[in-house]
Amino acid sequence: MKKIPRRDKLKIYGDLLSVLKSEGNEGERVILTRVQVQINVPFDRLKNYITELRELDLIEDETLNLTKKGKQYIMEYEKVIEFMKRMGLTY
Amino acid sequence: MFATSMYPTERMIVEIVATILCLILVKFMIKPYKLTREGTLLGLPLGFAFLGISYALAAISYSPLGFPQEFIWLPFLTRSFAFVFLATTYLFSNRKSKNGQLLGELTISLLVIGLAILLLIAFVAPEFAFNGYSNANVYLRFVNLICLSYIAIYTLRSHVRNPDPTTIWIPFGFIFLAISQYSLLFWYIDSSFSAFIGSLVTRFVGLAIFLFVSYRTFYRSDEKKGLK
Repeated sequence: MKKIPRRDKLKIYGDLLSVLKSEGNEGERVILTRVQVQINVPFDRLKNYITELRELDLIEDETLNLTKKGKQYIMEYEKVIEFMKRMGLTY
Repeated sequence: MFATSMYPTERMIVEIVATILCLILVKFMIKPYKLTREGTLLGLPLGFAFLGISYALAAISYSPLGFPQEFIWLPFLTRSFAFVFLATTYLFSNRKSKNGQLLGELTISLLVIGLAILLLIAFVAPEFAFNGYSNANVYLRFVNLICLSYIAIYTLRSHVRNPDPTTIWIPFGFIFLAISQYSLLFWYIDSSFSAFIGSLVTRFVGLAIFLFVSYRTFYRSDEKKGLK
């Protein structure tokens, strides 16, 4: 069985925002079950993460699309992850 | 050591440029820590900051201000700590367990405390430090070489595991820094001028690679998005 590396909350937030970004369409609500499959966390925990992201004003309340702040965050997050990959560091 | 007294102005300029490059690199290297708040990743900006400090101290030693003879070892010591900080970051970067992370943070903290104690001894009893640290000079260069070789092998293995054209540059950056330290070791032993020049050239090639990778990651991606 393939071992899944341990992820901290920040990594899960980053992965979740990346999935929401790819799944999201302007004005359309994101389908959570599709997100759950990609993010690989139990549904109840996914809902908790979504609530926390809403409270942080990173995603919209209704559609779960990324807010401007969310888009800025994920852009920075992806750059840092790419930088760490290029530096040969794992996160 | 004829090379130590040759071209002081040029060498001061070389060290100042290296310091500026390191300062720019610190700005990039601190980003992973700022995002993740993982203590072990602090070794990356600390490493480049200490590397910059060591070059700045070397620049002061070549300047008309000069450097007290008792503190001539200071650039070597800070440079070694820089490479140890970098090696520690790589050593603990793939330990994702809480214990592993704790051990990494503890090591970084101990290194900072160790450096503080060494500096304290140097300022309280400079004569003792001068004798002890000057003799340690050649050993410190070996430490630098071991740390850089470890990082180069680590990053090369990481690249081999997940081959990607973007990850091949950094191992070369560390290899060039290691060659620079190796050349300095030669220069220290036989005062070879070509080894000394070689060490400066390879140092700049190494730092330029880090700068190139950082710039491409943080700025070129923005430019590409802007073009779309």
